[in-house]
Amino acid sequence: MAGVVEVENLKVVLGRREILRGVSCSLGDEGAGKAVGLLGPNGAGKSTLIRTLLGFHTPSAGRARILGFDCHRETREVRLRIGYMPENDSFIGNVTAVNFLRMFAELSGLPAKVALEKAHETLFHVGLGEARYRELRTYSLGMKQMVKLAQAVVHGPELLILDEPTNGLDPAARQRMLRLVREMKEGQKMNILLCSHLLRDVEQVCDEVVILKDGMVAHGCNLEEERRSNRRFVELEVVGDDGGLGAGLEGIGARGVAEGAGRWRVVLPAGVEVDALWGVLRREGLLVHRLTHRRDTLEEIFLKAMGHIAHTPGEAA
Amino acid sequence: MAVYKRGYERYRGRLEGRWRRLLVLPRYTFRRMFRQRHAIVVLVASLAYPLWCAVYIYLAGNADLLDRLGSFRQYLAIDGAFFLRFVSVQKVFAVFIVALTGPGLVSPDLTDNALPLYFSRPLSRADYVVGRLAAPVALLSLATWVPGVLLFLLQCGSAGGGWFAANWRVGVGMVAGFWLWLALCGMVALAGSAYVKLRPVASGLVLGFFFVLGGVAGMVNLVFRGTAGSLLNPSWAVWRLSAAVMGTDGKGGAAIASAPGAAAAAVALAVLLLLLVLVLERKLRPVEVVS
Repeated sequence: MAGVVEVENLKVVLGRREILRGVSCSLGDEGAGKAVGLLGPNGAGKSTLIRTLLGFHTPSAGRARILGFDCHRETREVRLRIGYMPENDSFIGNVTAVNFLRMFAELSGLPAKVALEKAHETLFHVGLGEARYRELRTYSLGMKQMVKLAQAVVHGPELLILDEPTNGLDPAARQRMLRLVREMKEGQKMNILLCSHLLRDVEQVCDEVVILKDGMVAHGCNLEEERRSNRRFVELEVVGDDGGLGAGLEGIGARGVAEGAGRWRVVLPAGVEVDALWGVLRREGLLVHRLTHRRDTLEEIFLKAMGHIAHTPGEAA
Repeated sequence: MAVYKRGYERYRGRLEGRWRRLLVLPRYTFRRMFRQRHAIVVLVASLAYPLWCAVYIYLAGNADLLDRLGSFRQYLAIDGAFFLRFVSVQKVFAVFIVALTGPGLVSPDLTDNALPLYFSRPLSRADYVVGRLAAPVALLSLATWVPGVLLFLLQCGSAGGGWFAANWRVGVGMVAGFWLWLALCGMVALAGSAYVKLRPVASGLVLGFFFVLGGVAGMVNLVFRGTAGSLLNPSWAVWRLSAAVMGTDGKGGAAIASAPGAAAAAVALAVLLLLLVLVLERKLRPVEVVS
């Protein structure tokens, strides 16, 4: 399956600074409705990458394609298929939310009547139904974020690009925003490119992450695969004589390392589930104090990509 | 089903073509402009002079009346000078209309940082400028070349085919002059709106552009005791070009004979328009890049 976003050796120079220094990656699967998180510290080039994909910046080398269309040469085709929610406040203060969405839906090519219907429909969906005839300048920050999301999805894009969508939202509004984004992905099969500093947001919504550092891809991983592989690593704490546990684990094909004081790290081979481990522990007559799966959080993956830690705890196991 | 019960469903239907999409922006710009009640008042007032001209043409074409006027009939002549005067008067109204409607063209989008939303749509910067420009040009047309063409047709109908054959250049010169003026007014309004967010200041900037430049041109002419300074006055440059196309520049006497030619006026206008395009190119960007 072709990637939704395909970037090859992309370089972007702004002023005299090279912001993107040869980014290459393939994000998402066309038609699959996947969410990709774009992470990186400040100045890593996340926003520049997004703006280059939107055709705002001209690459000095390399190329970027969205859904098979070149972002620089076929800008119009690209923009017909995407929805963009910018990081900063972007609205028109003296128009009502309905007219705001209607105009942008029409600019994206929806017929006028359909655009009006979709504007109402989308505003109710994001929870602004009651406020849809109010001018946008009277909206609170949370409402403005929601209306930005609404304008990005009103025309039903294939790819939704969200730049810090939960900026400035309180916890309840943040959860609502993330729920809406998940619904777009799972219910409407939209592909999502989510750029955020908040790793928990990315963890909750995304299937893949790409981590940028100094204008280059530092790490890319599939969060689902990561979660699956994490389930194969078990941390164990037992009470009793665990002298025979090593042999017992070998009996089911697993490998274990004793760390002393009843602590073990166990790697289960493919096809062996935790039930088999429980069986070994029962046969050895051990009392289990703790049995946990390894959890390399996105924060650990991110810190490792940034070079702040050498290994994630799971890898150390 | 009621819209609040419907829930969101992604649109997968037919999309409009490029040209229909391009018409969206002028439509919404018209709405913005018609919020300016003063502009509508000036627009209506600007139709008074064309009405007076229509009466004048009717009188000039009335044979009975002409017979009774005797030697005064020479003052009722309809020729290039008459239409050149019409262009000059309506140009002033156009400036006032654009000063009132222009400030609302771009500044709301810039104030609230809406440009990234426009340019993430299938809309280029040129499309955006043309879309925003189309609305004031259409509005100004109602005060300028549309009544001008109607008057010209009225005169043709009144004076006959012979008059048209002798004066067709007058019609062409008038329409060309008006179109140049509309392009200039529209660009000045867009540039003013792009740089100044406060409506009264932006209006003042537009008025100042035309009237101050006219004053500066006069001063330069006085100080250097020449006529080349007139090229700084866009109104004069458009007038000069219109007169050349109409074929009335040979009848202006010594003043026009010593002034810079139509080619110099065309170059001056082209430079001015180019500068305005550069101003807009600099300002109308989806993102500001600090080098």
